[in-house]
Amino acid sequence: MSAKVTGLTVRHRRNTALDAVDLDFAPGVHGLLGPNGAGKTSLIRVLATVSPPDAGQVELLGTEVGRGADHRERASVRRRLGYLPQVFGYYPGFTVREFVGYVAWLKEMDGAQVAAAVERAVDRVGLGERIDAKVKTLSGGMVRRVGIAQAIVNEPALLLLDEPTAGLDPEQRVEFRALLREVGRTSTVIVSTHLVEDVAAACSDVTLIEAGRIAYRGTTAELIELGDAADELGGNPIERGYTAALRAHRTAVGA
Amino acid sequence: MRRERSGLGPDWHVGGELAARYAAGTAAESEAWSLEKHVEACGACAAVVSSAVRAGPETGPLLAGIRAAVLERAVQEPRESVGSRAYANNGTGPAIGTTVTGAGTSTTTVTGAATSTTTVTGAGTTGVPPRLSRAARVVWAAGPALRGAWLVALVIVALGAVALSYGAGLGASVRPLLLVTAPVLPLAGVALSYGLHADPLYEIATSTPAGGLRLLLTRAAAVLAVSVPALTLAGAVLPVAAGGPGAAAWLLPGLALTLAALALGSFVGGRRGAAAVGAAWLAFVVAPAAAGGPAGAALMAGASPYFAGPAVQSGWAAGAVACALLLAARRRSFDHLETP
Repeated sequence: MSAKVTGLTVRHRRNTALDAVDLDFAPGVHGLLGPNGAGKTSLIRVLATVSPPDAGQVELLGTEVGRGADHRERASVRRRLGYLPQVFGYYPGFTVREFVGYVAWLKEMDGAQVAAAVERAVDRVGLGERIDAKVKTLSGGMVRRVGIAQAIVNEPALLLLDEPTAGLDPEQRVEFRALLREVGRTSTVIVSTHLVEDVAAACSDVTLIEAGRIAYRGTTAELIELGDAADELGGNPIERGYTAALRAHRTAVGA
Repeated sequence: MRRERSGLGPDWHVGGELAARYAAGTAAESEAWSLEKHVEACGACAAVVSSAVRAGPETGPLLAGIRAAVLERAVQEPRESVGSRAYANNGTGPAIGTTVTGAGTSTTTVTGAATSTTTVTGAGTTGVPPRLSRAARVVWAAGPALRGAWLVALVIVALGAVALSYGAGLGASVRPLLLVTAPVLPLAGVALSYGLHADPLYEIATSTPAGGLRLLLTRAAAVLAVSVPALTLAGAVLPVAAGGPGAAAWLLPGLALTLAALALGSFVGGRRGAAAVGAAWLAFVVAPAAAGGPAGAALMAGASPYFAGPAVQSGWAAGAVACALLLAARRRSFDHLETP
Protein backbone atom coordinates (compact mmCIF):
# COMPACT_ATOMS: atom_id res chain seq x y z
CA MET A 1 0.00 0.00 0.00
CA SER A 2 1.32 3.45 -0.89
CA ALA A 3 -0.88 5.21 1.62
CA LYS A 4 -2.57 3.77 4.67
CA VAL A 5 -4.36 5.49 7.53
CA THR A 6 -5.64 3.74 10.64
CA GLY A 7 -8.00 5.30 13.15
CA LEU A 8 -7.33 8.71 11.62
CA THR A 9 -9.03 11.48 13.55
CA VAL A 10 -8.74 15.17 12.71
CA ARG A 11 -10.38 17.93 14.70
CA HIS A 12 -10.73 21.61 13.96
CA ARG A 13 -11.25 23.19 17.34
CA ARG A 14 -14.43 21.47 18.55
CA ASN A 15 -15.53 20.03 15.20
CA THR A 16 -14.48 16.54 14.22
CA ALA A 17 -13.48 16.64 10.55
CA LEU A 18 -12.47 12.96 10.35
CA ASP A 19 -13.65 10.36 12.83
CA ALA A 20 -11.44 7.25 13.25
CA VAL A 21 -11.09 6.62 9.52
CA ASP A 22 -9.35 3.52 8.16
CA LEU A 23 -8.28 3.67 4.50
CA ASP A 24 -5.61 2.33 2.20
CA PHE A 25 -4.61 3.21 -1.35
CA ALA A 26 -2.57 1.17 -3.84
CA PRO A 27 -1.08 2.55 -7.09
CA GLY A 28 -3.83 3.78 -9.42
CA VAL A 29 -6.21 6.72 -9.53
CA HIS A 30 -8.56 7.03 -6.57
CA GLY A 31 -11.48 9.40 -6.37
CA LEU A 32 -12.50 11.06 -3.14
CA LEU A 33 -16.10 12.17 -3.29
CA GLY A 34 -18.41 13.74 -0.77
CA PRO A 35 -20.54 16.74 0.02
CA ASN A 36 -18.85 20.04 0.87
CA GLY A 37 -17.44 19.96 4.39
CA ALA A 38 -17.43 16.16 4.54
CA GLY A 39 -13.72 16.01 5.38
CA LYS A 40 -12.15 15.54 1.94
CA THR A 41 -9.70 18.42 2.31
CA SER A 42 -8.83 17.37 5.87
CA LEU A 43 -7.95 13.89 4.60
CA ILE A 44 -5.92 15.19 1.64
CA ARG A 45 -4.01 17.56 3.95
CA VAL A 46 -3.08 14.75 6.32
CA LEU A 47 -1.99 12.59 3.37
CA ALA A 48 0.05 15.53 2.02
CA THR A 49 1.76 15.71 5.47
CA VAL A 50 0.82 19.37 5.92
CA SER A 51 -1.67 18.65 8.74
CA PRO A 52 -0.87 16.37 11.66
CA PRO A 53 -3.50 13.83 12.69
CA ASP A 54 -5.09 14.32 16.12
CA ALA A 55 -5.16 10.55 16.52
CA GLY A 56 -4.29 7.49 14.48
CA GLN A 57 -1.49 6.31 12.22
CA VAL A 58 -0.57 7.67 8.80
CA GLU A 59 1.77 5.52 6.75
CA LEU A 60 2.91 6.86 3.41
CA LEU A 61 5.21 4.95 1.04
CA GLY A 62 6.02 2.57 3.87
CA THR A 63 6.96 5.26 6.39
CA GLU A 64 5.02 6.55 9.39
CA VAL A 65 4.59 10.33 9.03
CA GLY A 66 1.97 11.17 11.66
CA ARG A 67 2.36 13.39 14.70
CA GLY A 68 5.66 12.73 16.45
CA ALA A 69 7.16 10.91 13.45
CA ASP A 70 10.84 11.39 12.71
CA HIS A 71 11.47 14.65 10.87
CA ARG A 72 14.05 13.18 8.47
CA GLU A 73 11.84 10.25 7.54
CA ARG A 74 8.95 12.58 6.86
CA ALA A 75 11.25 14.72 4.71
CA SER A 76 12.26 11.68 2.66
CA VAL A 77 8.57 10.92 2.03
CA ARG A 78 7.98 14.56 1.10
CA ARG A 79 10.59 14.33 -1.66
CA ARG A 80 8.36 11.75 -3.34
CA LEU A 81 5.07 13.60 -2.84
CA GLY A 82 3.14 15.86 -5.17
CA TYR A 83 0.47 18.10 -3.70
CA LEU A 84 -1.96 20.56 -5.23
CA PRO A 85 -3.88 22.39 -2.51
CA GLN A 86 -7.37 23.65 -3.17
CA VAL A 87 -6.14 27.23 -2.91
CA PHE A 88 -2.64 28.31 -3.80
CA GLY A 89 -0.93 31.49 -4.91
CA TYR A 90 2.25 32.52 -6.65
CA TYR A 91 4.86 35.23 -6.38
CA PRO A 92 3.83 38.14 -8.60
CA GLY A 93 6.94 38.32 -10.75
CA PHE A 94 7.35 34.59 -11.35
CA THR A 95 7.12 32.98 -14.77
CA VAL A 96 5.69 29.49 -15.16
CA ARG A 97 9.23 28.13 -15.43
CA GLU A 98 10.36 29.92 -12.27
CA PHE A 99 7.30 28.87 -10.31
CA VAL A 100 7.63 25.17 -11.14
CA GLY A 101 11.42 25.41 -10.75
CA TYR A 102 11.03 26.96 -7.32
CA VAL A 103 8.85 24.09 -6.14
CA ALA A 104 11.33 21.61 -7.66
CA TRP A 105 13.99 23.32 -5.58
CA LEU A 106 11.80 23.08 -2.46
CA LYS A 107 11.40 19.36 -3.18
CA GLU A 108 15.20 19.10 -3.11
CA MET A 109 15.43 17.66 -6.60
CA ASP A 110 18.83 17.09 -8.11
CA GLY A 111 19.87 20.50 -9.48
CA ALA A 112 21.19 19.02 -12.71
CA GLN A 113 17.78 17.55 -13.54
CA VAL A 114 15.54 20.42 -12.49
CA ALA A 115 15.57 22.33 -15.80
CA ALA A 116 14.54 19.31 -17.88
CA ALA A 117 12.01 18.14 -15.30
CA VAL A 118 10.39 21.57 -15.21
CA GLU A 119 10.01 21.67 -18.99
CA ARG A 120 8.60 18.16 -19.05
CA ALA A 121 6.06 18.88 -16.30
CA VAL A 122 4.93 22.10 -18.00
CA ASP A 123 4.62 20.28 -21.33
CA ARG A 124 2.54 17.56 -19.75
CA VAL A 125 -0.09 20.06 -18.64
CA GLY A 126 -0.11 21.61 -22.11
CA LEU A 127 1.56 24.91 -21.22
CA GLY A 128 4.81 24.34 -23.10
CA GLU A 129 4.30 27.46 -25.19
CA ARG A 130 3.62 29.65 -22.15
CA ILE A 131 6.53 28.43 -20.04
CA ASP A 132 8.21 31.84 -20.00
CA ALA A 133 4.99 33.80 -19.50
CA LYS A 134 4.39 35.48 -16.14
CA VAL A 135 1.95 33.43 -14.08
CA LYS A 136 -0.13 36.54 -13.41
CA THR A 137 -0.86 36.93 -17.13
CA LEU A 138 -2.47 33.45 -17.33
CA SER A 139 -6.15 32.63 -17.05
CA GLY A 140 -7.56 30.86 -13.99
CA GLY A 141 -7.61 27.49 -15.74
CA MET A 142 -4.00 27.90 -16.85
CA VAL A 143 -2.90 28.83 -13.32
CA ARG A 144 -4.50 25.62 -12.09
CA ARG A 145 -2.54 23.71 -14.72
CA VAL A 146 0.63 25.39 -13.46
CA GLY A 147 -0.41 24.07 -10.03
CA ILE A 148 -0.69 20.58 -11.48
CA ALA A 149 2.73 20.97 -13.13
CA GLN A 150 4.39 21.85 -9.81
CA ALA A 151 2.73 18.80 -8.24
CA ILE A 152 4.09 16.36 -10.85
CA VAL A 153 7.51 17.97 -11.43
CA ASN A 154 9.28 15.41 -9.21
CA GLU A 155 7.40 12.46 -10.78
CA PRO A 156 5.83 11.73 -7.39
CA ALA A 157 5.10 8.25 -6.12
CA LEU A 158 2.10 9.71 -4.31
CA LEU A 159 0.13 12.53 -5.91
CA LEU A 160 -2.56 14.37 -3.95
CA LEU A 161 -4.89 16.74 -5.73
CA ASP A 162 -7.56 18.76 -3.97
CA GLU A 163 -10.28 19.85 -6.42
CA PRO A 164 -7.84 19.97 -9.35
CA THR A 165 -10.49 20.49 -12.04
CA ALA A 166 -11.96 23.64 -10.51
CA GLY A 167 -11.65 26.39 -13.11
CA LEU A 168 -10.78 24.06 -15.99
CA ASP A 169 -13.02 24.18 -19.05
CA PRO A 170 -14.50 20.89 -20.36
CA GLU A 171 -11.75 20.28 -22.91
CA GLN A 172 -9.02 20.89 -20.34
CA ARG A 173 -10.80 18.53 -17.94
CA VAL A 174 -10.72 15.78 -20.55
CA GLU A 175 -7.00 16.32 -21.08
CA PHE A 176 -6.40 16.46 -17.37
CA ARG A 177 -8.16 13.14 -16.77
CA ALA A 178 -5.97 11.55 -19.43
CA LEU A 179 -2.92 12.86 -17.58
CA LEU A 180 -4.27 11.42 -14.32
CA ARG A 181 -4.71 7.99 -15.85
CA GLU A 182 -1.19 8.14 -17.25
CA VAL A 183 0.35 9.15 -13.90
CA GLY A 184 -1.80 6.51 -12.18
CA ARG A 185 -0.15 3.72 -14.14
CA THR A 186 2.92 3.90 -11.92
CA SER A 187 1.96 6.19 -9.02
CA THR A 188 -0.78 6.44 -6.45
CA VAL A 189 -3.04 9.37 -7.31
CA ILE A 190 -5.71 10.56 -4.89
CA VAL A 191 -8.09 13.17 -6.26
CA SER A 192 -10.66 14.96 -4.19
CA THR A 193 -13.50 16.33 -6.26
CA HIS A 194 -17.16 17.20 -6.11
CA LEU A 195 -17.59 16.36 -9.80
CA VAL A 196 -18.72 12.76 -10.13
CA GLU A 197 -17.92 12.78 -13.85
CA ASP A 198 -14.24 13.32 -13.01
CA VAL A 199 -14.37 10.12 -11.03
CA ALA A 200 -16.22 8.22 -13.75
CA ALA A 201 -13.68 9.24 -16.38
CA ALA A 202 -10.40 9.01 -14.50
CA CYS A 203 -10.65 6.94 -11.33
CA SER A 204 -10.48 3.20 -10.90
CA ASP A 205 -12.16 3.35 -7.53
CA VAL A 206 -14.12 5.67 -5.32
CA THR A 207 -14.17 6.57 -1.65
CA LEU A 208 -17.23 8.43 -0.51
CA ILE A 209 -16.87 10.55 2.62
CA GLU A 210 -19.77 11.94 4.59
CA ALA A 211 -19.50 13.90 7.84
CA GLY A 212 -15.99 12.62 8.60
CA ARG A 213 -16.74 8.96 7.98
CA ILE A 214 -16.38 6.57 5.05
CA ALA A 215 -19.82 6.18 3.49
CA TYR A 216 -18.81 3.92 0.60
CA ARG A 217 -15.79 2.29 -0.99
CA GLY A 218 -15.78 0.41 -4.25
CA THR A 219 -14.69 0.47 -7.84
CA THR A 220 -16.12 3.06 -10.18
CA ALA A 221 -17.94 0.26 -12.02
CA GLU A 222 -19.60 -0.87 -8.79
CA LEU A 223 -20.79 2.65 -8.03
CA ILE A 224 -22.26 2.88 -11.54
CA GLU A 225 -23.98 -0.49 -11.03
CA LEU A 226 -25.45 0.81 -7.81
CA GLY A 227 -26.79 3.75 -9.83
CA ASP A 228 -28.25 1.45 -12.47
CA ALA A 229 -30.23 -0.27 -9.73
CA ALA A 230 -31.59 3.06 -8.47
CA ASP A 231 -33.48 4.18 -11.54
CA GLU A 232 -35.89 6.45 -9.70
CA LEU A 233 -33.15 8.97 -8.86
CA GLY A 234 -32.34 11.53 -11.53
CA GLY A 235 -29.06 12.05 -13.39
CA ASN A 236 -26.66 9.63 -15.02
CA PRO A 237 -25.80 6.23 -13.48
CA ILE A 238 -22.76 7.37 -11.52
CA GLU A 239 -24.62 10.36 -10.08
CA ARG A 240 -27.42 8.03 -9.07
CA GLY A 241 -24.87 5.64 -7.58
CA TYR A 242 -23.36 8.50 -5.58
CA THR A 243 -26.74 9.56 -4.24
CA ALA A 244 -27.82 5.97 -3.52
CA ALA A 245 -24.60 5.18 -1.64
CA LEU A 246 -24.85 8.40 0.36
CA ARG A 247 -28.47 7.74 1.31
CA ALA A 248 -27.76 4.14 2.27
CA HIS A 249 -24.99 5.38 4.55
CA ARG A 250 -27.21 8.03 6.13
CA THR A 251 -29.91 5.43 6.80
CA ALA A 252 -27.34 3.08 8.35
CA VAL A 253 -25.92 5.85 10.55
CA GLY A 254 -29.38 7.07 11.56
CA ALA A 255 -30.55 3.57 12.47
CA MET B 1 -23.70 7.74 -27.45
CA ARG B 2 -21.67 8.97 -30.38
CA ARG B 3 -24.56 8.18 -32.73
CA GLU B 4 -26.94 10.13 -30.57
CA ARG B 5 -24.72 13.17 -30.54
CA SER B 6 -23.99 13.20 -34.24
CA GLY B 7 -27.67 12.83 -34.99
CA LEU B 8 -26.97 10.33 -37.75
CA GLY B 9 -28.22 6.79 -38.16
CA PRO B 10 -25.97 3.85 -37.29
CA ASP B 11 -25.67 2.86 -40.94
CA TRP B 12 -24.45 6.21 -42.18
CA HIS B 13 -21.04 6.18 -43.91
CA VAL B 14 -18.92 8.66 -45.78
CA GLY B 15 -19.59 8.58 -49.52
CA GLY B 16 -16.90 9.20 -52.16
CA GLU B 17 -18.48 12.49 -53.16
CA LEU B 18 -18.52 13.87 -49.60
CA ALA B 19 -14.95 12.70 -49.05
CA ALA B 20 -13.85 14.57 -52.18
CA ARG B 21 -15.59 17.79 -51.08
CA TYR B 22 -14.11 17.43 -47.60
CA ALA B 23 -10.63 16.98 -49.07
CA ALA B 24 -11.12 20.06 -51.27
CA GLY B 25 -12.29 22.06 -48.27
CA THR B 26 -15.71 22.78 -49.79
CA ALA B 27 -17.86 20.58 -47.52
CA ALA B 28 -20.36 22.45 -45.33
CA GLU B 29 -19.33 22.89 -41.74
CA SER B 30 -21.99 20.56 -40.35
CA GLU B 31 -21.06 17.88 -42.90
CA ALA B 32 -17.36 18.21 -42.08
CA TRP B 33 -18.18 17.96 -38.40
CA SER B 34 -20.22 14.77 -38.86
CA LEU B 35 -17.50 13.29 -41.02
CA GLU B 36 -14.74 14.04 -38.52
CA LYS B 37 -16.79 12.54 -35.70
CA HIS B 38 -17.58 9.46 -37.77
CA VAL B 39 -14.04 8.63 -38.93
CA GLU B 40 -12.88 8.53 -35.30
CA ALA B 41 -14.76 5.24 -35.00
CA CYS B 42 -15.06 3.93 -38.57
CA GLY B 43 -11.83 2.62 -40.11
CA ALA B 44 -13.32 2.03 -43.57
CA CYS B 45 -14.51 5.63 -43.90
CA ALA B 46 -11.21 6.94 -42.53
CA ALA B 47 -9.47 5.11 -45.38
CA VAL B 48 -11.88 6.63 -47.92
CA VAL B 49 -11.22 10.15 -46.58
CA SER B 50 -7.45 9.53 -46.43
CA SER B 51 -7.24 8.49 -50.06
CA ALA B 52 -9.36 11.48 -51.09
CA VAL B 53 -7.05 13.85 -49.23
CA ARG B 54 -3.94 12.19 -50.69
CA ALA B 55 -5.42 12.65 -54.18
CA GLY B 56 -5.99 16.38 -53.62
CA PRO B 57 -3.85 18.70 -55.77
CA GLU B 58 -2.56 20.71 -52.78
CA THR B 59 -2.81 18.30 -49.89
CA GLY B 60 -1.40 15.32 -51.81
CA PRO B 61 2.17 16.61 -52.34
CA LEU B 62 2.22 18.11 -48.83
CA LEU B 63 1.32 14.78 -47.22
CA ALA B 64 3.80 12.93 -49.42
CA GLY B 65 6.52 15.33 -48.30
CA ILE B 66 5.67 14.84 -44.62
CA ARG B 67 5.59 11.08 -45.11
CA ALA B 68 9.05 11.14 -46.71
CA ALA B 69 10.39 13.31 -43.88
CA VAL B 70 8.91 10.99 -41.26
CA LEU B 71 10.41 7.91 -42.85
CA GLU B 72 13.80 9.57 -43.23
CA ARG B 73 13.81 10.64 -39.58
CA ALA B 74 12.49 7.32 -38.32
CA VAL B 75 15.46 5.60 -39.92
CA GLN B 76 18.01 8.15 -38.70
CA GLU B 77 16.81 8.62 -35.13
CA PRO B 78 18.19 6.28 -32.53
CA ARG B 79 15.42 4.29 -30.86
CA GLU B 80 15.98 5.56 -27.34
CA SER B 81 15.30 9.18 -28.21
CA VAL B 82 11.72 8.34 -29.07
CA GLY B 83 10.64 7.85 -25.48
CA SER B 84 11.93 11.19 -24.29
CA ARG B 85 10.13 12.99 -27.10
CA ALA B 86 6.80 11.52 -26.06
CA TYR B 87 6.40 14.54 -23.82
CA ALA B 88 7.28 17.13 -26.44
CA ASN B 89 4.42 19.52 -26.92
CA ASN B 90 3.62 19.84 -30.59
CA GLY B 91 2.92 23.50 -30.05
CA THR B 92 -0.61 23.43 -31.44
CA GLY B 93 -2.48 20.53 -29.93
CA PRO B 94 -2.97 19.48 -26.34
CA ALA B 95 0.20 17.91 -25.03
CA ILE B 96 -1.61 15.62 -22.66
CA GLY B 97 -3.59 13.94 -25.40
CA THR B 98 -0.46 13.51 -27.45
CA THR B 99 1.37 11.92 -24.57
CA VAL B 100 -1.35 9.43 -23.89
CA THR B 101 -2.15 8.40 -27.42
CA GLY B 102 1.52 8.57 -28.29
CA ALA B 103 2.21 5.39 -26.34
CA GLY B 104 2.59 3.53 -29.64
CA THR B 105 6.03 4.13 -31.08
CA SER B 106 4.83 5.02 -34.55
CA THR B 107 2.47 7.76 -33.34
CA THR B 108 5.18 9.29 -31.21
CA THR B 109 7.61 9.39 -34.07
CA VAL B 110 5.07 11.09 -36.30
CA THR B 111 4.46 13.78 -33.67
CA GLY B 112 8.14 14.41 -33.30
CA ALA B 113 8.81 14.63 -37.00
CA ALA B 114 5.87 16.86 -37.80
CA THR B 115 7.10 19.38 -35.27
CA SER B 116 10.76 19.19 -36.15
CA THR B 117 10.96 22.96 -36.64
CA THR B 118 9.47 23.69 -33.23
CA THR B 119 11.68 21.16 -31.53
CA VAL B 120 14.83 22.54 -33.10
CA THR B 121 14.10 26.16 -32.17
CA GLY B 122 13.09 25.02 -28.70
CA ALA B 123 16.43 23.35 -28.18
CA GLY B 124 18.20 26.54 -29.16
CA THR B 125 16.55 28.67 -26.48
CA THR B 126 15.81 26.21 -23.69
CA GLY B 127 18.37 23.48 -24.24
CA VAL B 128 20.75 25.13 -21.80
CA PRO B 129 19.22 24.88 -18.34
CA PRO B 130 19.16 28.23 -16.54
CA ARG B 131 21.53 27.34 -13.73
CA LEU B 132 21.50 29.79 -10.88
CA SER B 133 24.47 30.81 -8.86
CA ARG B 134 24.46 30.01 -5.17
CA ALA B 135 23.84 33.63 -4.17
CA ALA B 136 20.95 33.95 -6.59
CA ARG B 137 19.43 30.80 -5.13
CA VAL B 138 19.48 32.23 -1.62
CA VAL B 139 17.77 35.42 -2.75
CA TRP B 140 15.31 33.27 -4.70
CA ALA B 141 14.65 31.14 -1.64
CA ALA B 142 14.15 34.28 0.39
CA GLY B 143 10.71 34.39 -1.13
CA PRO B 144 8.23 37.20 -1.12
CA ALA B 145 9.76 39.59 1.42
CA LEU B 146 12.76 40.58 -0.64
CA ARG B 147 10.62 41.43 -3.66
CA GLY B 148 7.65 43.06 -2.02
CA ALA B 149 6.47 46.07 -0.13
CA TRP B 150 8.85 45.44 2.73
CA LEU B 151 11.90 46.14 0.59
CA VAL B 152 10.34 49.42 -0.48
CA ALA B 153 9.65 50.28 3.17
CA LEU B 154 13.25 49.52 4.08
CA VAL B 155 14.62 51.74 1.33
CA ILE B 156 12.24 54.54 2.29
CA VAL B 157 13.32 54.40 5.96
CA ALA B 158 17.04 54.22 5.21
CA LEU B 159 17.12 56.83 2.46
CA GLY B 160 14.40 58.88 4.13
CA ALA B 161 16.46 59.25 7.29
CA VAL B 162 19.45 60.48 5.29
CA ALA B 163 17.30 62.81 3.18
CA LEU B 164 15.55 64.32 6.20
CA SER B 165 18.81 64.79 8.01
CA TYR B 166 20.73 66.48 5.22
CA GLY B 167 18.12 67.54 2.68
CA ALA B 168 15.56 68.94 5.11
CA GLY B 169 18.22 70.26 7.44
CA LEU B 170 17.00 68.31 10.47
CA GLY B 171 20.54 67.15 11.15
CA ALA B 172 21.20 65.04 14.22
CA SER B 173 17.57 65.07 15.37
CA VAL B 174 16.71 62.30 12.83
CA ARG B 175 19.06 59.82 14.47
CA PRO B 176 16.81 58.84 17.42
CA LEU B 177 13.90 58.32 15.02
CA LEU B 178 15.92 55.84 13.00
CA LEU B 179 17.11 54.19 16.20
CA VAL B 180 13.60 53.36 17.44
CA THR B 181 12.30 52.39 13.98
CA ALA B 182 15.16 50.15 12.84
CA PRO B 183 14.65 47.21 15.25
CA VAL B 184 11.11 46.51 14.02
CA LEU B 185 11.99 46.54 10.30
CA PRO B 186 13.67 43.10 10.16
CA LEU B 187 10.81 41.79 12.24
CA ALA B 188 8.31 43.07 9.68
CA GLY B 189 10.39 41.60 6.86
CA VAL B 190 10.41 38.15 8.44
CA ALA B 191 6.68 38.32 9.16
CA LEU B 192 6.03 39.21 5.52
CA SER B 193 8.15 36.41 4.11
CA TYR B 194 6.71 33.26 5.65
CA GLY B 195 3.49 31.86 6.99
CA LEU B 196 -0.14 31.34 6.21
CA HIS B 197 -0.96 34.99 5.65
CA ALA B 198 2.25 36.13 4.01
CA ASP B 199 3.44 33.42 1.64
CA PRO B 200 1.20 32.50 -1.30
CA LEU B 201 3.11 29.23 -1.65
CA TYR B 202 2.84 28.43 2.06
CA GLU B 203 0.74 25.27 1.81
CA ILE B 204 2.75 23.86 -1.09
CA ALA B 205 6.02 24.74 0.66
CA THR B 206 4.88 23.02 3.85
CA SER B 207 4.43 19.76 1.93
CA THR B 208 8.05 19.84 0.73
CA PRO B 209 11.20 18.67 2.52
CA ALA B 210 12.72 22.18 2.35
CA GLY B 211 9.66 23.86 3.89
CA GLY B 212 9.17 24.59 7.56
CA LEU B 213 11.75 26.10 9.89
CA ARG B 214 14.62 25.78 7.44
CA LEU B 215 12.87 27.87 4.81
CA LEU B 216 11.75 30.34 7.47
CA LEU B 217 15.32 30.77 8.75
CA THR B 218 16.69 31.08 5.20
CA ARG B 219 14.25 33.89 4.55
CA ALA B 220 14.93 35.51 7.94
CA ALA B 221 18.64 35.43 7.14
CA ALA B 222 18.04 37.05 3.77
CA VAL B 223 15.93 39.76 5.42
CA LEU B 224 18.67 40.44 7.97
CA ALA B 225 21.37 40.37 5.29
CA VAL B 226 19.61 43.22 3.51
CA SER B 227 18.29 45.24 6.43
CA VAL B 228 21.29 45.18 8.76
CA PRO B 229 23.78 46.83 6.37
CA ALA B 230 21.19 49.23 4.98
CA LEU B 231 20.00 50.53 8.34
CA THR B 232 23.42 50.54 9.97
CA LEU B 233 24.93 52.46 7.05
CA ALA B 234 22.09 54.95 7.14
CA GLY B 235 22.74 55.42 10.86
CA ALA B 236 26.46 55.79 10.30
CA VAL B 237 26.16 58.61 7.76
CA LEU B 238 23.79 60.65 9.92
CA PRO B 239 25.38 63.51 11.89
CA VAL B 240 26.52 62.36 15.31
CA ALA B 241 24.36 63.39 18.23
CA ALA B 242 26.18 64.24 21.39
CA GLY B 243 26.05 61.46 23.96
CA GLY B 244 23.67 59.23 21.97
CA PRO B 245 24.22 55.53 21.27
CA GLY B 246 26.17 54.53 18.14
CA ALA B 247 24.84 53.51 14.73
CA ALA B 248 25.05 49.78 15.59
CA ALA B 249 23.14 50.06 18.87
CA TRP B 250 19.90 48.81 17.29
CA LEU B 251 21.41 45.49 16.11
CA LEU B 252 20.95 43.39 19.25
CA PRO B 253 17.47 44.75 20.01
CA GLY B 254 16.55 44.09 16.36
CA LEU B 255 17.84 40.51 16.52
CA ALA B 256 16.07 39.86 19.83
CA LEU B 257 12.77 41.20 18.50
CA THR B 258 13.00 39.08 15.34
CA LEU B 259 13.75 35.91 17.29
CA ALA B 260 11.01 36.74 19.81
CA ALA B 261 8.51 37.08 16.97
CA LEU B 262 9.55 33.73 15.49
CA ALA B 263 9.37 31.97 18.86
CA LEU B 264 6.00 33.49 19.67
CA GLY B 265 4.84 32.73 16.13
CA SER B 266 5.47 29.03 16.69
CA PHE B 267 2.58 29.12 19.15
CA VAL B 268 0.15 31.60 17.66
CA GLY B 269 1.14 31.88 13.97
CA GLY B 270 3.72 34.10 12.28
CA ARG B 271 1.55 37.15 11.70
CA ARG B 272 0.16 37.31 15.23
CA GLY B 273 3.62 36.72 16.70
CA ALA B 274 5.14 39.60 14.75
CA ALA B 275 2.20 41.90 15.45
CA ALA B 276 2.38 41.19 19.19
CA VAL B 277 6.12 41.83 19.39
CA GLY B 278 5.82 44.98 17.28
CA ALA B 279 3.01 46.25 19.50
CA ALA B 280 5.04 45.48 22.62
CA TRP B 281 7.98 47.45 21.21
CA LEU B 282 5.69 50.39 20.50
CA ALA B 283 4.07 50.27 23.95
CA PHE B 284 7.08 49.57 26.14
CA VAL B 285 9.92 51.33 24.29
CA VAL B 286 8.73 53.87 21.73
CA ALA B 287 5.89 55.35 23.77
CA PRO B 288 7.90 55.92 27.00
CA ALA B 289 10.90 57.15 24.99
CA ALA B 290 8.77 59.69 23.15
CA ALA B 291 7.11 60.92 26.35
CA GLY B 292 9.55 63.82 26.60
CA GLY B 293 9.23 64.81 22.95
CA PRO B 294 8.62 63.15 19.57
CA ALA B 295 12.02 63.98 18.02
CA GLY B 296 15.41 65.55 18.54
CA ALA B 297 17.30 65.67 21.78
CA ALA B 298 14.24 64.89 23.89
CA LEU B 299 13.56 61.62 22.04
CA MET B 300 17.24 60.76 22.11
CA ALA B 301 17.29 61.26 25.86
CA GLY B 302 14.19 59.13 26.22
CA ALA B 303 15.42 56.32 23.95
CA SER B 304 19.00 56.11 25.22
CA PRO B 305 18.22 53.97 28.28
CA TYR B 306 16.92 51.24 25.96
CA PHE B 307 20.05 51.13 23.81
CA ALA B 308 23.10 52.66 25.52
CA GLY B 309 25.49 50.89 27.81
CA PRO B 310 26.95 47.40 28.07
CA ALA B 311 24.37 46.26 30.62
CA VAL B 312 21.40 47.13 28.37
CA GLN B 313 23.05 45.58 25.32
CA SER B 314 23.85 42.43 27.32
CA GLY B 315 20.20 42.29 28.31
CA TRP B 316 19.15 42.33 24.63
CA ALA B 317 21.74 39.67 23.84
CA ALA B 318 20.45 37.46 26.64
CA GLY B 319 16.91 37.96 25.36
CA ALA B 320 17.99 37.01 21.85
CA VAL B 321 19.66 33.82 23.11
CA ALA B 322 16.61 32.88 25.18
CA CYS B 323 14.31 33.35 22.18
CA ALA B 324 16.67 31.35 19.97
CA LEU B 325 16.61 28.47 22.48
CA LEU B 326 12.82 28.59 22.65
CA LEU B 327 12.66 28.59 18.85
CA ALA B 328 14.96 25.55 18.71
CA ALA B 329 12.73 23.73 21.20
CA ARG B 330 9.68 24.60 19.11
CA ARG B 331 11.28 23.74 15.75
CA ARG B 332 8.96 20.80 15.01
CA SER B 333 5.91 23.05 15.17
CA PHE B 334 6.94 24.39 11.76
CA ASP B 335 6.62 20.93 10.19
CA HIS B 336 2.90 21.44 9.68
CA LEU B 337 0.55 24.23 8.69
CA GLU B 338 -0.04 26.86 11.35
CA THR B 339 -3.62 26.90 12.59
CA PRO B 340 -5.44 29.96 11.29
